[in-house]
Amino acid sequence: MSSPPAASWETRDDLGFAVRLLSEIPVHEGRDPELLRHWARTAGAFGAALAPVPCRARVTERADGLERGLLARYVSRPTPTVELYTDTLAAAEELIDARGWRHWYPPGSVREAALAHEAVHEQLHHGPAKGALKRALGHLVLRAGRFRLYGHVAGAEEIAAHAYARTVCGLGRSPLHLTAALADAVTQREK
Amino acid sequence: MGVVILIVMAAGVAAMLTRKLPTAFALVLLGVVIAFVAGAPLTGKESVLDTVLQEGAPMLASTMIAVLLGSWLGKLLDETGIAGTIVRKIVEFGGDRPTVVALGVLAVSALIGTVTGSAPAAMLAGIIGIPAMVAVGIPKVTAAGTILMGIAVGVPFELPIWQFFSTALDLPVPTVRGFMVKLFPLALVAAVAFVLIESRRRGVEHTWSLKTAADKPRSRRERLGDAPWYALLTPAVPLVLALGLDVAIIPSLLAGVVYALVTTTRPREMNKRLLRTLYGGFEVAAPPIALFIAIGILLAAVKLPGAIDALEPLVKAVSPQNPVLFVLVFTLLVPLCLYRGPLNVYGLGAGIAGVLIAAGIYPAVAVLGLAASYNQVFGVSDPTSTQTVWSAQYAGVGPQQVMVRTLPYVWAVALGGFCVTAAAHL
Repeated sequence: MSSPPAASWETRDDLGFAVRLLSEIPVHEGRDPELLRHWARTAGAFGAALAPVPCRARVTERADGLERGLLARYVSRPTPTVELYTDTLAAAEELIDARGWRHWYPPGSVREAALAHEAVHEQLHHGPAKGALKRALGHLVLRAGRFRLYGHVAGAEEIAAHAYARTVCGLGRSPLHLTAALADAVTQREK
Repeated sequence: MGVVILIVMAAGVAAMLTRKLPTAFALVLLGVVIAFVAGAPLTGKESVLDTVLQEGAPMLASTMIAVLLGSWLGKLLDETGIAGTIVRKIVEFGGDRPTVVALGVLAVSALIGTVTGSAPAAMLAGIIGIPAMVAVGIPKVTAAGTILMGIAVGVPFELPIWQFFSTALDLPVPTVRGFMVKLFPLALVAAVAFVLIESRRRGVEHTWSLKTAADKPRSRRERLGDAPWYALLTPAVPLVLALGLDVAIIPSLLAGVVYALVTTTRPREMNKRLLRTLYGGFEVAAPPIALFIAIGILLAAVKLPGAIDALEPLVKAVSPQNPVLFVLVFTLLVPLCLYRGPLNVYGLGAGIAGVLIAAGIYPAVAVLGLAASYNQVFGVSDPTSTQTVWSAQYAGVGPQQVMVRTLPYVWAVALGGFCVTAAAHL
């Protein structure tokens, strides 16, 4: 997907970024765009409504995020750990200043959002919320009488995690917006 | 003279390892040089031109046709959305349990591995399967390894491989099939163990990533939607015919092509799709066919009487006859089939297999056991093989990382294969 002009980063809606995230997962190849939009909206609403949870995982810092294309990573083994990539976080903060987006992303909020994002992944991985998200998405793959089996929607957890991070950190825009802009800026810089 | 041939072989391996020469060219060159060293005349009976090149090049013709048909069927699985639909269903049904998704993708990869091999097989299962596994939290190295281990489960039932071993080792297809049926449970247990153990050891990972899914050309399936459920049985058709009903390999594969076509394509579009996928199949099959031409030439060279006489005493002296020693030695030599090493079945390994049989050092079926076992390692862990490179790169990791993670499992498969071989055929 080609990058939009700089000015349009302000005007593009956050739901569009979530739909784009889903549509780029090959599992969703050929899906009705309206269905993807519905799933993106539902997953976002689900994440935004999640009760705040503390990040119980160990937090470590690394400085090779730009090289690996990562801002944060949650690993469940050997001990649940959130890795924060400090170089990417710094690049994000720089970009926010450069674009004049401080009113959306207050100082230090990207780091907070990263911790919140990964905390939700941990919650969805270990707790019952995963099943609730699946039911909320309503992707029915099998029905036999009263028995209903809801299918997994790849990428929905990621959207929920971003929506949660936006809500609990009080961000003005979705972290998906910042991620897309940052990815674009990094790509432009590499060119 | 035997020592000279071994030196020539070592030089050939060095040329392949250092990428000075593509494997196929190196094998042809090896065949010609070995023939000259073995004292073969330029023309006439047992000669360089008439025997090694003229008779050697088409020696594996039936394998080449089987590879082409497998590639054709693979193209159809892709274009008709059969492979993608199977993977998508697996993810939808098992998506909130990463291990279940990985086991499902493993099963799909195994099914695809019975039809076609190499990078196209990895792509059929991996284009959707790898991002799907990563999306549910499976670490990238495990995701890439799952595709490769899955394909390796299918390899013992990959009909073109049966044809290859049958022709190259001069064994009847039922004998090849008999050994492959014994190898299959070993590959299956190792693959399931890989998914379960690695899932347990590595857990899940979720990333806040700047990267989007790898760019790839949108397939025709994007416009066509999912394949119908009965079309999803396509990969099983050749297998049921060849394994269950004893139908020959080429008609079994053709039946798979026809079944895929009639279950997914409107009659007026059939001709177009058949031709398009057939031509696409040629493209996919070109590298292995080039390799099989070269292997045929090398096999013809090492089977020349002069080469056999020269190599027999040397190879006999270093080839263990005791079953325990046989298992131990060949297990220790497993790394030599990696990095296009001398025991790579699709390289010099084929020539060595030819020498072992022609010199009467081991029965042909024991050589089949060696070659098929090494093939299980090569197909998964060799960081230079196209399927490993593609899977690793598509997952965003290095082929070496995949090799390190998968090697213990496929090494165990090879050990099992050698044990079966020693117990049954020595």
